[in-house]
Amino acid sequence: MNNYLNLLIGLAMGLNLIALGSSRLPSLIRAVSAQGIVLGLMPLLLEHHPDWRVLVVVVATVAGKGFVIPWLLRRAMRAATIERELNPLVGFVPSLLLGAGGTIAAVAFARLLPLLPEHAGSLLVPGALASVLTGFILLIGRVKAISQVCGYLILENGIYLFGLLLIRSTPLLVEAGVLLDLTVGVFVIGIIVDRIQRAFDSLDTRKLTVLRE
Amino acid sequence: MIAVLLLLAVGGMVAGMLVGRAAPRLWLGLTLAGIAAGLAAAVSVLAGGTEWEWHSAILIGGEPLHLRLDGISAFFLVLLGTVGGAGAVYAHEYWAERLHPRSARVARGWWSALVLTLALVLVSANGLHFLIAWELFTLSAYFLVTLDRRQPAARAAGWLYLGASHVAVLALFAFFALLAARTGSWDLGPMREHKELAPLFWLALFGFGLKAGLFPLHIWLPDAHANAPSHVSAMMSGVAIKMGIYGLVRFSGWLPMPTGAGWVVAALGVASAVLGVAFALGQHDLKRLLAYHSVENVGIILIGLGFALVAVEQGDTMWGRLALAGGILHVWNHGLFKALLFFGAGSVLHATGSREMSRLGGLWRPMPWTATLFGLGAVAISGLPPLNGFVSEWLVYLGLFDATQSHSEAAWAAIPAAILLGVTGAMALACFVKVCGVVFLGAPRSAEAARAHECGGMMRGPMLLLGAACVAIGLAPVLFWPVLARVTSAWRPGWADATAPAPLLMLGGVHLALAAAAGLAGWLLWARVKQRGLARALTWDCGYVAPTARMQYTAGSFAGTITAWFAWILHPIVQEQRAEAVLPAGASHRSHTPETVLERVIEPMGTVVMAVSGAVRRRQHGRVQSYLFYLLIGVAVLAGVVLAGGEI
Repeated sequence: MNNYLNLLIGLAMGLNLIALGSSRLPSLIRAVSAQGIVLGLMPLLLEHHPDWRVLVVVVATVAGKGFVIPWLLRRAMRAATIERELNPLVGFVPSLLLGAGGTIAAVAFARLLPLLPEHAGSLLVPGALASVLTGFILLIGRVKAISQVCGYLILENGIYLFGLLLIRSTPLLVEAGVLLDLTVGVFVIGIIVDRIQRAFDSLDTRKLTVLRE
Repeated sequence: MIAVLLLLAVGGMVAGMLVGRAAPRLWLGLTLAGIAAGLAAAVSVLAGGTEWEWHSAILIGGEPLHLRLDGISAFFLVLLGTVGGAGAVYAHEYWAERLHPRSARVARGWWSALVLTLALVLVSANGLHFLIAWELFTLSAYFLVTLDRRQPAARAAGWLYLGASHVAVLALFAFFALLAARTGSWDLGPMREHKELAPLFWLALFGFGLKAGLFPLHIWLPDAHANAPSHVSAMMSGVAIKMGIYGLVRFSGWLPMPTGAGWVVAALGVASAVLGVAFALGQHDLKRLLAYHSVENVGIILIGLGFALVAVEQGDTMWGRLALAGGILHVWNHGLFKALLFFGAGSVLHATGSREMSRLGGLWRPMPWTATLFGLGAVAISGLPPLNGFVSEWLVYLGLFDATQSHSEAAWAAIPAAILLGVTGAMALACFVKVCGVVFLGAPRSAEAARAHECGGMMRGPMLLLGAACVAIGLAPVLFWPVLARVTSAWRPGWADATAPAPLLMLGGVHLALAAAAGLAGWLLWARVKQRGLARALTWDCGYVAPTARMQYTAGSFAGTITAWFAWILHPIVQEQRAEAVLPAGASHRSHTPETVLERVIEPMGTVVMAVSGAVRRRQHGRVQSYLFYLLIGVAVLAGVVLAGGEI
């Protein structure tokens, strides 16, 4: 059981690196969507006696993270007619290196934490930390609004992984609520992206600095 | 009875505010009538001895109105009425419509507002209403200080005053809010038994001390007093800074005192007294010099109050009572003679258009009234017998001398305090010899001084009134002892002693004898002069062939020796080009004593704060990416702290 889980988490960590290294927006969105599907399946492995509620959550997560949100992002991308992140603040190779370093650091760091014995062998905590870090690198290093949304999604995935540690004590409904918030958030961002594009002919968030006051 | 009088006073002031713009004479009448009613109320409390208290159901800001006129309030109210009324008459001529067509109208309204709000501060017995009145008084005073707002210096002075006042009011907000939080009510009154309230006194000391111009919190005072119109300077120096003293007296009477409070107050008082007069000696601007004397006199008042607090701590009523009485009486005395001096300075400014002492001189001839009355004020402020300044300082001295025999720690502190008080008096005397000599004696140093003229009756009258009050307290101090006893009993019940101390009786007799002797000597001299006539002769001219008026002692050269002793704190700025070689090309000398605390401490601190804020401000540039980066760093630091075993 733990092996399958670790495999999935490893996959998600790999997808983090793909997200960091890809300059084309479609492949970034694809990586995020794949990571969403992978994470969405995890409750099935964690829950020893899955009932219908777990199934509903799994279906909703996979559909939301794997299909609905990426579809919204693709639509925003097409509306804005951009394909590439051209001038990132942190380059692709440096961000890839940072991400890899962060992943290694996360694994090392997780050993220092006072975890419960049943979590000690799993990659849940390092995976969560690595995803949060990846999300931050994307948010800090990229300038296009869509890339930042992807960074935000990966950050949320990291938090979701942490949440899985508590699956026995926290109802999945809480996670479902978070997911709902996120979907609405992405909707709103999709609309804003569209408006920004129409108003400024650009999606470069650096140009929004005049709005700071 | 008192309620009716106070209502009349408020009515007079409010009506004055309304008609002030259009009708100067009606305003003067209403203001004086209102002040007379207020004075009558205060005097009846001081004479009759019954406190007046009024609990009302009227809510202001959600708090029921609670007014109270006890000995302490009435004492300060008398000073407010005297200086407020005198200033109103003085302003009628000094800041007349003809000279200041725009600001004279505004000045009248703000004057009424200032007197009214100061009176409100004195009578309100609710923390919230006290703060409201305090803030309104600060604002009224600000508008009066900046009446001449076309002068950049007046605007800058007003700004500094407003800023400093708000720092003070911040401390007072904290003080009253904590007081209300700990007692459960904004209502004020004696609460000496709540021992846990004692530490709040430090907040009050900062807030009220800043307003009182206590060293080193006096930074706003010289600028505001010097650049305000003279009747406003008189009010600020005579009454407004006394509100800080009022607060300290009031709350040191009502609240329990933390241990050591008396020592701190007394030490600050000594520092203010000595350094205030040292700074005054270095000034060349007549009104700025008077402003620094306010710092000095506030110091003398606080020496009295501080040693009284020490006596409370040690349970020693005998000498504490004397020190307190001296400090309290000095509040009146300083209010009277400082207002007189500022009126005199205003008269000089009115006649010559200059406050710079090096441009004045020889004003005794054209302005005999001003010169005489200013001289009277100078004698009083220097603490010379037989005038009132000596009476209050004598009481403080008596308290200190008696403390030396008390065989406690106070005995050791009282000796240096008395010596430093003596040094202060001597330096004040030197300073006023300098002022009177440079401004009124000698020959005019400029064309404006040569063209000077005496002021009119409306300016002379208030000066005469204040001068007469100074003489009255000086010659008959015993008459005022019951007033001091009333204030003392309001401060600490049971402390008061209705019979005046014997040395005070003796002092009154000595003063009368001295005054009679001086009068007789003057009369004899006058008779001799009338009989034999005056013979004019040249003074020794040091061998110069053609002496000019510029070859007289200047303000700077007169005080040079003493300012050199205090160069370590005054930091005088001297630019000079000495006359060298056999045929010198030219020579010049320029000196200036800056406000050291402001320029060496507050301004560098402000620069640092501005630089840090500016740097932080640049971090706020609107880039989401960087903000997230700050967030990440913050989280990482917190994680580091937790891992290192720290507590958050």
